[in-house]
Amino acid sequence: MPWTLDVEHELAPGLTIRRHRLHNGLTLISLLDPAAPVVSYQTWFGVGSRHEEPGRTGMAHLFEHLMFNQTTTLAAGDFDRLIEQTGGDSNAATWVDWTYYRDTVPARDLALCVRLEADRMHNLVLEDGPLEAEREVVANERLQRVDDDVDGFLDEELYRLAFTRHPYRWPTIGWMDDIRGLAKPDVIRFYRTFYAPNNATVVVVGQFEPAELLALIEERYGRLAAAALPGGGRSGAAVEVEPTQTAERRASFVKPTAAPRLHMGWRAAAQGETDWAALSVAAALLASGSSSRLHRRLVIERELCSALGCDVAPFRDPGLFRLSLNLTRDASLAEVEGEIDSAIEALAAGRIEEHELAKVKNIVETDFWAELDTCDGRAEALGHYQTVLGDFRMLFEIAARLARVTIADVADVAGRYLSRERRCLLMVEPEPDDGDGDGDSDDDSDDDSDGGDTAEVAR
Amino acid sequence: MTVPLHLEAAGATPIVWFTAALRGGAGLDPVGREGLTRHAAELARRGAGDLGRAELDAAVDELGASLEVDVDRDSIALSGMALARTLPRLLELAAAVLGRPRLELAEHEQLVRETRHELDDLRDDDSSLADRFFNLRCAPGHPYGRTTLGTEATLAAIDLAAAREQRARLWSRDRLVVGFAGAIDPAAARDAADGLAEAIGGAGSPPLPELTSVESAPGLRIYVVDKPARSQCQMMLGHTGPRYGTGDFTALLPFETAFGGMFSSRLMQEIRVKRGWSYGAGCRLHRARIGSWFRIHLAPTAEVAADALRLVLDLYADVAANGLTDAEVDFARGYLTGSLALGRQTARQRMRQQLQHDLLGMPADYLPTLGQRIAAVSAADVRAAAARWLRPADVCVVVVATASQLVPRLEALGLAVTEVLPHDSY
Repeated sequence: MPWTLDVEHELAPGLTIRRHRLHNGLTLISLLDPAAPVVSYQTWFGVGSRHEEPGRTGMAHLFEHLMFNQTTTLAAGDFDRLIEQTGGDSNAATWVDWTYYRDTVPARDLALCVRLEADRMHNLVLEDGPLEAEREVVANERLQRVDDDVDGFLDEELYRLAFTRHPYRWPTIGWMDDIRGLAKPDVIRFYRTFYAPNNATVVVVGQFEPAELLALIEERYGRLAAAALPGGGRSGAAVEVEPTQTAERRASFVKPTAAPRLHMGWRAAAQGETDWAALSVAAALLASGSSSRLHRRLVIERELCSALGCDVAPFRDPGLFRLSLNLTRDASLAEVEGEIDSAIEALAAGRIEEHELAKVKNIVETDFWAELDTCDGRAEALGHYQTVLGDFRMLFEIAARLARVTIADVADVAGRYLSRERRCLLMVEPEPDDGDGDGDSDDDSDDDSDGGDTAEVAR
Repeated sequence: MTVPLHLEAAGATPIVWFTAALRGGAGLDPVGREGLTRHAAELARRGAGDLGRAELDAAVDELGASLEVDVDRDSIALSGMALARTLPRLLELAAAVLGRPRLELAEHEQLVRETRHELDDLRDDDSSLADRFFNLRCAPGHPYGRTTLGTEATLAAIDLAAAREQRARLWSRDRLVVGFAGAIDPAAARDAADGLAEAIGGAGSPPLPELTSVESAPGLRIYVVDKPARSQCQMMLGHTGPRYGTGDFTALLPFETAFGGMFSSRLMQEIRVKRGWSYGAGCRLHRARIGSWFRIHLAPTAEVAADALRLVLDLYADVAANGLTDAEVDFARGYLTGSLALGRQTARQRMRQQLQHDLLGMPADYLPTLGQRIAAVSAADVRAAAARWLRPADVCVVVVATASQLVPRLEALGLAVTEVLPHDSY
């Protein structure tokens, strides 16, 4: 038998997730939902911007765009037209640890997805014309998401400031000079290195006939050869370990905004580490919901901010615990910083009520199920955990870890991770009426790093 | 009168979504007090029954739930999501917000300040800025052209008495539509819907005035919303469109799809695929209770923005003059009928579609027969509707850009700028 069934896991009564392995290393995760009139077909590759190198940043993302072009069996544009002919929808996304391709089609059109995705995994044709056109599109995408978007700009700068060695220091979309300079031979080498069945997980969620699914995938993917992946496995070659940050880093910029923006980041835990769950609970205590500590204090009581958010990067290696704030026009940075310091100190001291912790756990539980509402949402969750942490069941393990977090756990991670010397702080201030100071940096950080952003970018 | 209920029960996950929506929205704001309906709805969410703002926020969050207000030109909605086990308490809170809002002076004053902060945030987002100015300039004076959020001046003109008066005018069980989806059974959903209606009260309230369709001004008008240091331009252009659900609207759906609704559409192919000028390019016929607009959007780099506008105007003139090919209509029709399943894959999506169509004034059989209606549209139907509605000579263009860069390039192409507007002027 070409297939090995190695895991079964029940999502809910009557909804069983199955993981199969094909002889060439392809992983298949399937979740049959007979009530769904559609099927979501996603292909997750274990390649993202972490697998790039300085001078060639943006390769994974540019490549994502190129995957919608010509193959040896299809003319340029045929992929989109064949999916659209069904009424379906296709897209893709790239981040630091992965790239994935998504097709959502009426259930009757599953076979088309299998054929198209297997084809472009192996048969892509890279011509100069489409490469140059997509290079322009990506440059435009960068202008839209980063250069002309203050939050995108701050995200990029925050990771550039926080990371000095690890590839998380450069943006997934790439530096503009690199996007302009990526050469065709490098692009082809990238494809041959990372796009192979043993670096891919196919996730199928929705209505399908299980035996037919296995047969279709075996027929289309079974003859594809495994590749020699860098480092010998799905995780790719080793990357540089980021040294411990020992002093606060700051930078400020002037932009044509109406009011100041502030982004702060602390090096956090990797998603697979147990501390990640406690840090996520800390983030929710600070900024999830209108009654969260910082929202209540900064937005409602003191009116120093109009909006704020806090999250922990879901990365394979440690990313950032990130806090982003839209200040009000007359707010003082010192006052905002003081409030944030106080809130973190309170967490580190364990000044958390049990009912507050229970509240956050309810929010987490609701979010967990809400994300699994659609076929696409389910496939995305399964694909993410399989690709980033090596096992889709980590979706459930992390949910269980979140449910087990105690007040002492939150205090512990707040004390260890969210200290001032581990912090990076970036500020954008409105330009003065007579000024032209866009992008002028007043960087007083303790190093001169050269990278960093995690903004997810889609086709 | 029994409150209309749209129920899509499904028990695979333990979540319930609901929406309680009132017909009538920000389109009924008085002139000079734009933002009033939204203000009244938001104010109700900031303290109701025995709970002040902080207590109400905490009560919702403790359930792990959400309870959000959304106001558009045609409706006022309160939507919630909760685990099934916490739904009864969330419904109690929703009933208080709908029926027993405090509408306190201190909260009113703070909400005005917070809305001003929202205006600041909006100005940092070029796409939102383009949308706001397009509405204003495409249909000056029409309720759809006015802002639902308000302006500095109109916010200053909103007082607590006006907010209370607007609430008394618009909140009535006679105009309520309720939807439930997820882990809830029909009897519980009906009881909950009736409970929300009872909380609102206001039975027998007078009917609201019906808005008339948007009429945009004639001629090509180009407005540049001047913002410093833009490397890219958010561009929107369009004019009046047909009312949703009419024969002409349905006949224009294949046009919307083939011209700018798919990746293989003409706009995406010409702007993005062939030239790489913009990350995206598309068009949309807006769905509303009255005829509103047809709008094209793209975001070219500053260097090519003038050329991109010229090209889009030419593409639009060409398709208006010559129509789509039969093959384009066939393809678009197939795409549209197939894509209906994608929007109906979950109980939540199906409930929201039904509720939205109810608010849009569509008959109950409209959604179930939409696929057949689209399938019945012929290429001749598309061309006839296009001849009635596509007006390439009467286009309002709004571009968020750095005017000193863009205006000379536009003028060099013979595209006269009607007015340059400071980005923080509205």
